Order: sequence, then structure tokens, then C-alpha cells
Amino acid sequence: MKTITIDNVRKTYGPVAALDGFSLEIPSAGVFGLLGPNGAGKTTTFKCMLGLARPTSGRILYDGQPLTPAMLERIAYVAERSVLYDWMTVAEHMEMTRRAFANFDPRQALELLGAFNVDPRRRARALSKGMRTAVMIALAFARNAEVLILDEPTSGLDPVNQRTVLSLMINEAAKGNCVVFSSHQIGQVERAAEQIAVMDRGRVVLRGLVDDLKGDRKIVEGVFPDAHFILDGIAADARVARVDRTERIVRLLVTGGADDIASRLSAAGAMGVRVLDLNLEDIFLYAVSPTTATTDIVVKELSS
Amino acid sequence: MNYVEWLRVRNCLRILLIVLAIFVVIAIALRITVNRYMSSEAWIAHMAMRNGAKETQTVLPDGTKRMIVEDPADSTRIVVDDHGYAGRHVVITEPSNRAHDEHDNVAVGSVHVVESRNGSMKTTVIDTDGSVPMIYYMGLADFVALMVATFLAAPLAREIDGHLDVALTRPCSRVRYALGVMGADVAAILAASVLTIVALYCCQLLFESPRLDFSGINARAVAMGVAVPLAWYAMLCAATTWFARSFGAVLGLSWPIALVIGALTLIQPGNLVALVIHDVAWAISRLDPLTYVSTAMPTSDGTVSYAGADFALRISVEACMFVAYGALAVWRWQRVEA
Repeated sequence: MKTITIDNVRKTYGPVAALDGFSLEIPSAGVFGLLGPNGAGKTTTFKCMLGLARPTSGRILYDGQPLTPAMLERIAYVAERSVLYDWMTVAEHMEMTRRAFANFDPRQALELLGAFNVDPRRRARALSKGMRTAVMIALAFARNAEVLILDEPTSGLDPVNQRTVLSLMINEAAKGNCVVFSSHQIGQVERAAEQIAVMDRGRVVLRGLVDDLKGDRKIVEGVFPDAHFILDGIAADARVARVDRTERIVRLLVTGGADDIASRLSAAGAMGVRVLDLNLEDIFLYAVSPTTATTDIVVKELSS
Repeated sequence: MNYVEWLRVRNCLRILLIVLAIFVVIAIALRITVNRYMSSEAWIAHMAMRNGAKETQTVLPDGTKRMIVEDPADSTRIVVDDHGYAGRHVVITEPSNRAHDEHDNVAVGSVHVVESRNGSMKTTVIDTDGSVPMIYYMGLADFVALMVATFLAAPLAREIDGHLDVALTRPCSRVRYALGVMGADVAAILAASVLTIVALYCCQLLFESPRLDFSGINARAVAMGVAVPLAWYAMLCAATTWFARSFGAVLGLSWPIALVIGALTLIQPGNLVALVIHDVAWAISRLDPLTYVSTAMPTSDGTVSYAGADFALRISVEACMFVAYGALAVWRWQRVEA
């Protein structure tokens, strides 16, 4: 498979639009992170991608073709919550997967289960939440699929196993496969993903390579003598993505030319000007909740 | 693709096998208990206890043990040919005035009784190696199959209830998947019938060597015994797929509802309220496969209470229900979203 194209997808549940004109292009290889607050539409996106839910409008294409049942042989999915059958053993889940998917490798699955310390003889109902997640991950990665769609794959796992999952994802990408995953743990996304998309209210609000997003975006902060300062056209600069004014302080989210903007702030009368780097968490928060992001940065500055 | 459903089927049939095995064990215990009453010698001794009776025992060239009891005082003669597991052939000749008034030809299980009168004497012939009407076997097999059908009748609802992410991400179409799981259940229902018949046969074999009669009404009973549980299964499968979130309630209430509806159709429409209740229940009962189960039984003269055309209609309705309800379940399954 080359690319996954999500083209202007809208999915409504009654009056609520879970996806609202959602468009995204996911490359065929690499790790792609999907970020967003609760209710942003990440899980709905995955369900639409897998045919588990039908888009109200729009289309999703794999290599330019709509999803067919045969394509599911090459797509592995780990759901957000446990979908294991409580009354079945882990070994029976392996057998179920082996019978359904031609490329499933039971030995690889056993190795992964061993890495997660899961006994295949145990019934699913006897497993903890983290172990259930581990079983689903082992079954998905042992399928040797070309596309892995992982919804909160590290949920419930301990830090060691979380690291294992991230390594597995990076290994899959190295093999030329595509890993699409969602997570609330932005540190993990930053560590594993090459590209991200940030969703909010069913739309993509930010997308790009992680390094580019981090490199381009900075906060330029200026402190003026009083609250009646004039920015002198700085806010209208195309490189200024957002302006937040609080009393005597102004914070500008800039997508480039931070030093130049800082010089212009000084020229406009700012007593002190600072340029702050953003990490992925800051970028995410700015994308989905600018107010929270600003407050967060202020707190960090004070504490430092 | 249907491994999970096959596991469910395996577990269900395993429970059924345990239950049937318990019945066979009980039959074995019963057989051991009554063993001393079942030998020819014991039977003969019991019959020869009457005062004045004369008993003669011989062995015929084919190995049959023949016992003749004659009671000259009563003008009674009893000839018992004991064929071992092949049964007994008993001929009782006695005065007509001593015989009971009823004059019946009776067939119960493998025991066939034929009475005839000749002047002042009456002859009663009892054969214990008669063929066993399959309808007796099918009665119990049908009940067991209906229970198994009720237990298994929510395969798609069980997937909807938390496992759609697994069921719908397999590389096969939804229709094929649904037909596959329903096919597994159909096989289980048929297997339950067969296992029950085998268990019954084993139980009977402990006492005698039964010959099953598949002719006439028995063949119809077999056909009805196959069709009814499958139609019942398809109806519940459709209902549980449509009301997937409460499939347990659907299955649990299915029998009470069917029985209540059936009972309401028996209400005599004496007043307006009764008439309305009767008519509504009657209309609803048309949707229930159990409604079309005939209660006709073979009578002593070999006739049945319904005609062949009526049977053809009933079995056709059952078959149509199986297909229609099955299609309804699949149709719903195709539209399910996670």
C-alpha cells in the first residue's frame, strides 16, 4: 500500500458531527501520530478507515481504492478498549487470528507475548487491562501487516512495555510499513512519530513533520511598560499565527522569523523580549487550546 | 473465519454430551436394577405361579426359548417365544368373557399388541420387537435441539456486544461472515438432534434391540424435527441482531412469550376484549415457528390427524421462516457500525 487518503470525511451521530470535513494524507511508510483532545474524533477516524463505521460523506482510499474486505488482510488494528473474548484463552485468540489471516506468525506472537510476560494459557478474563492491551498488540504485530492502526496502544501498559511498543512501531516503520497511532501521551508521540496531525472537533487543525513543527514554531514574548501598547502592525505579519495579550504582556506564536519579530517588538517599546522554544506538547496545546497553552508557558517561565 | 463460533458450538455440545451421558448412566443403573426381572426365567416363574398352571420349556432349533403355560382350569394358554435382545413374541389365548372389554390394537414404543376374537376365545399377540416410531425419538430430540438453538441464537449480537472491532476487521465480507457463523450454529443444532437420538437409542439398547421406523408420519416427524429448531433459531437470531444490546433478555423471554402467545390464542372469544386478545395473539403467533408444529400423533389404526397437503404447507412455512429470518439477521448485520 502506498498512501491512505482521507478526503473530506464527515461522520455524524444524530446532530453531533464526530468528523467534520476531515482530510488527511498518510504516507505509506513511517510512524504517523494522531493527536487530539478527548472527543476530537480520533477513534471515529480509525473506525471509518477500517470500515467499522460508514462516513456520512467523503471517502477514504487506500492506494486510490476504497477499502475492500481483502485489503483487511494487510491492515492490523488495535482497538482503544479490550475486544478480547473473556471466555477464550490467549492461545485460542492466537488460533483465531491464525485462521483469519494468512500472514500471521504464531511464533512471533508467542515471542511478543513472552516479552510482555503474558501466559498464552490464561483466559482473557483473568488478564489485567495492560495485559489485554499487550495481547492485542502481540496479535496485531505478528500479523506482518503493511498498515497498523493503533488506537491508544500503550494504554494501561507499564513504562517498560510502553517502551517496547514504541520500539515495535519504529521497527515496523523501518521495514517500510505504515503505523498510524493515537495517544494522549505526547512524549511518546514525539519519540516515535515522524509526522503528526492534531485533531480538534472533527477537523485537522495542525499537521506536518514533527521536526518542522518544532523548528518553525516559537513564542516571542514582550513585556511593555503599560497595558496601552501598540504592536505597530506586527500582528498582521503573515508569520504571526496567534497573538495573546494579557495586561502588559504580549505573546506571539510565530511560524518563522522569530528574531525579526522580537526586534520589531523591541522597536515598538517592549522593555523585555524573549524567544521561547516549543516542544510538541506546547504545539499541541496551542493547536487545540491556546488559552491553556499560554498559561502553561507562563507557569513554566515563572518556575524556571 | 468462524473459529469463535465453533468454540461456542463446541462448548455447547460438550455440555449437552455431559447431560446425555448422565441419562445413559441412569439408564445403565436402571438396567442393572431391573436385571433380575428381565430374564426369561424370572418372567416365566412369575407367570407360572398361578395355581394349577402347567409350564413347559423348550429350546427351538433356531435357539429361541419357548415357554408354554397352560391353565386348564381357566382355559388359558400362553406361549412365550424369547428371542433374547430381538424381543419376545407372546400369544395369549383365553376365554372372551375373561378378557377386558376394550378391544384395541396398541403400539407403544417397540411393544405392539394385537387382539382378535374367535368365537368364545380371544387371542392376544404381544410383540416386543416391534419397530419404534421415530416420532418418539424426534419428540425429545426436537426439544433438545430447540434448547440448543435458543442458547446459540445470538451469534451476531454477541459480536456486536463488544467484539465488532475483531469481527469486522477480518478479510471477508460481512455476509460471508454472518452466513459462516449461522452455518456453524445450524450444524450444532442438527448435531444436538443426532446426539440425542443416539443417546436415546443407547438407552433403549440396554433393554432391547430397537428397530426404528422412519416410514409415513415418522419421516414427516424427522423433517419437522429438523425444520422447527432451525426456524426457531433463525427467528431468535434476527431478533437478537436487531436488539443486540439486550440479546440476553430476548433469549430469556423467548420461551415465556411463545407460551403466553400460544395460550392466548386458545381464549374463547366470548366478548369483545377476549375477541381482540385472541385475534392479536393469533396474528402474532403466525410469526412463531412453534405455531406450525403439528401435534398430530399416529393413531391405532395408522392414520394421522392431518393430511399430507397440510404437512407440506407447514414444512414450507418453516423453511420460509428459516430463510426469511436468516436474511433479516444478515441484512441487519450488514448495517451494523462499531
